[in-house]
Amino acid sequence: MASEIEVGTKYIPDMSKTEIEDLRKQFTESSLKVIKDNIDRMKKSWPNRPKEMEYFDEISNLFGKRQQEISEQKQAGKKVIGYTCMFAPIELIIAAGAIPVRVGSGWYDSAKLGDRIMPVEVCPVIRSTVGAKMVHLSPFLELSDAVITPLTCDGRTKLSEILADYKTIWRMSPPRVKDDAHALQLWKEEMMVIKQKIEELTGTKITRENLKEAIEKLQKATKAFRRLQEIRKGPPVITGRDAMLVNQTSLWDDIERWTQKTDELCDVLEKRVEEKDYATYPDTPRVMITGTPMIWPDSWKVPNLIEEANPKGLLAVDEQCSGDRILYDPVGVDEWTMSDMLNAVTERYLMACTCPCFTSDNGNEDRVNWIMDRIKEYKVDGVIYYVVRGCILYAMEYARIKRVLDRMNIPVYYLDTEYTREDVGQMKTRIEAFLEMLEARIDI
Amino acid sequence: MESEKDKTEFWRWLEYHSVMPGKDWRKANVITAGVDVGSVGSKAVVMIDGEIYSWSVLRTGSNSSDSAKKALDWAMQDTGLSLKDFHYIVGTGYGRVNVPMANRAITEIACHAKGANYIWGPSVRTVLDVGGQDVKAIRCDDTGKVVSFLMNDKCAAGTGRGMEVIADLLKIPIEDVGKVSLSVTEEPEPVSSTCVVFAKTEAVGLLRKGWSKEKVLASYIRAMAIRMSELIEKVGCEKEFVITGGQSKNIGIVQRVENILGVKRLPVPNLETTGLDPASAGAIGAALFAKALYEKEKHR
Repeated sequence: MASEIEVGTKYIPDMSKTEIEDLRKQFTESSLKVIKDNIDRMKKSWPNRPKEMEYFDEISNLFGKRQQEISEQKQAGKKVIGYTCMFAPIELIIAAGAIPVRVGSGWYDSAKLGDRIMPVEVCPVIRSTVGAKMVHLSPFLELSDAVITPLTCDGRTKLSEILADYKTIWRMSPPRVKDDAHALQLWKEEMMVIKQKIEELTGTKITRENLKEAIEKLQKATKAFRRLQEIRKGPPVITGRDAMLVNQTSLWDDIERWTQKTDELCDVLEKRVEEKDYATYPDTPRVMITGTPMIWPDSWKVPNLIEEANPKGLLAVDEQCSGDRILYDPVGVDEWTMSDMLNAVTERYLMACTCPCFTSDNGNEDRVNWIMDRIKEYKVDGVIYYVVRGCILYAMEYARIKRVLDRMNIPVYYLDTEYTREDVGQMKTRIEAFLEMLEARIDI
Repeated sequence: MESEKDKTEFWRWLEYHSVMPGKDWRKANVITAGVDVGSVGSKAVVMIDGEIYSWSVLRTGSNSSDSAKKALDWAMQDTGLSLKDFHYIVGTGYGRVNVPMANRAITEIACHAKGANYIWGPSVRTVLDVGGQDVKAIRCDDTGKVVSFLMNDKCAAGTGRGMEVIADLLKIPIEDVGKVSLSVTEEPEPVSSTCVVFAKTEAVGLLRKGWSKEKVLASYIRAMAIRMSELIEKVGCEKEFVITGGQSKNIGIVQRVENILGVKRLPVPNLETTGLDPASAGAIGAALFAKALYEKEKHR
């Protein structure tokens, strides 16, 4: 029997065209202001900010040049494939000649709007995406012909059905346990289904040639990405926020151009290491952030506070799917056969991932190891464990991570916040007290 | 004297200031001050050579920098001191960035730990600072350095400001709320929410139900004490334990927190003879940091 429930009547209530248009305009303006404010603040913190950063400033405008480019390419017949989290196989999208864009949303305004239909217990990343959809705020989501929604956490799982009222949704179910052959096999099947869907949408067969080309493109991007991350291990020639901005623009920029621009930036930064031309004092406490993704532009709240604090902190590295995890791991291919490449893509998007959706008797040990390694490599003085309310998986793993860090004698601070600007004063006090603590330790 | 009937502002607590007798700042080598602009109270402490010389505690007005100036002015009153005599001033508290005469700002978390270490000595390990709009549980080492800390949520739940609202609602002078809350023969159930807005509504409901003022007050204070105790338990309560901030004067909070945790706080020193005021622990810590920073910069 056919369902009596009509598509379009499930979650989001009808809103008048004028209300939608008014809110969209209002949110867009406010977002443009936040983007400008963030960039101004980054410039202020780094007086000698190289002109090579300006490219990323431009791409960071979610309503600007990049949106324009994608719409033009779409009009010329290209397909746009959105994805809500990092489990989506970018290589397959690129191989089929489509444009990949991440569509998770970092707007505080739209989170508030999402409150109309989502209870506040729901993670604000989800509420914000729902709110953005209600008023067609997100250019990349609107441009998407289909959206890959990996069902990693409960929020994203339900988000997939809310978005289904508007968009073609392709779900992927990652196994929650990754360390057995069976999990890899399941994931491979998910991968093959997505591959077929991509081929159907684009009308382009994914072949040995175009897949190899796509993998190599991403490998080059990873190389540039790692080069930047490598530089960050040394003295501070770039602020954490600027590095985060570079990392995050890769989620919606043309990846080849992004690679080239990142390499150009790295050329300058490597020179600055030699010239000792630093973005901040070399003894600035080095902070690592781990936890909920911090999505441009509104979630720059905490990074801004850390790097503008008194005493100042340097975001040396992060363990987030909005940062270090985006491009760190390349697809590793032994032989360029179709089956080998597909296996390599499958493995990369499962085994390399440290998302807290994974579990085992030994917990999410890949994440624990990753954090421990980063602390040593990036000479981290203290860790800020960042969780937005409702982000249950990250919140739960804190107890374990804290024990590990205690044993390493690395201070960790649990910073819980919301998609709001109202708590900035309190956040500032917490962050500054933590940095004072780190500074006092360094003094010894 | 104002009669109970005429009194309208039950929340209004007494402001105070004083100078330690028998001390002469003109003979001192280093004169510093700590100015703690909290959300409810502003505190200033003047130190000469690392010892308390004078202090003031007053209500924070709508303008942080005015409150900071007023607090320090009041602490300098009748001493002959003027701003130019200070070698270093540290601002702290919620309004720390708006202390115009400060050479530097340091968070109240670091300052309360430092101040507690000064007031009670090196044995202090856990500090509960109950301020006007937030509660902080701080762990520190024997030098008063912060080892870890936790802070409550972003609202005035279970804090000094909440206490003021309830005092006003029940028409009980703020100085008496602690004592009055302990006059109940049996501890009532805690109110279900320490959120100021909800608690006020709930308190009105309880009064209508026929609860006595004392019982309603006890119920609210107990809820606050439970929240604070949870925060301390989360950060881990190691002895010695002390309470700082304005609510350290609220015996209703203090005794209940002690009962829940099964730990006694270290006793409060006599303010008049020692100048050691737990409510001003943040300002004391700030004045100490000021001295340390001055000396560090001088040696450079």
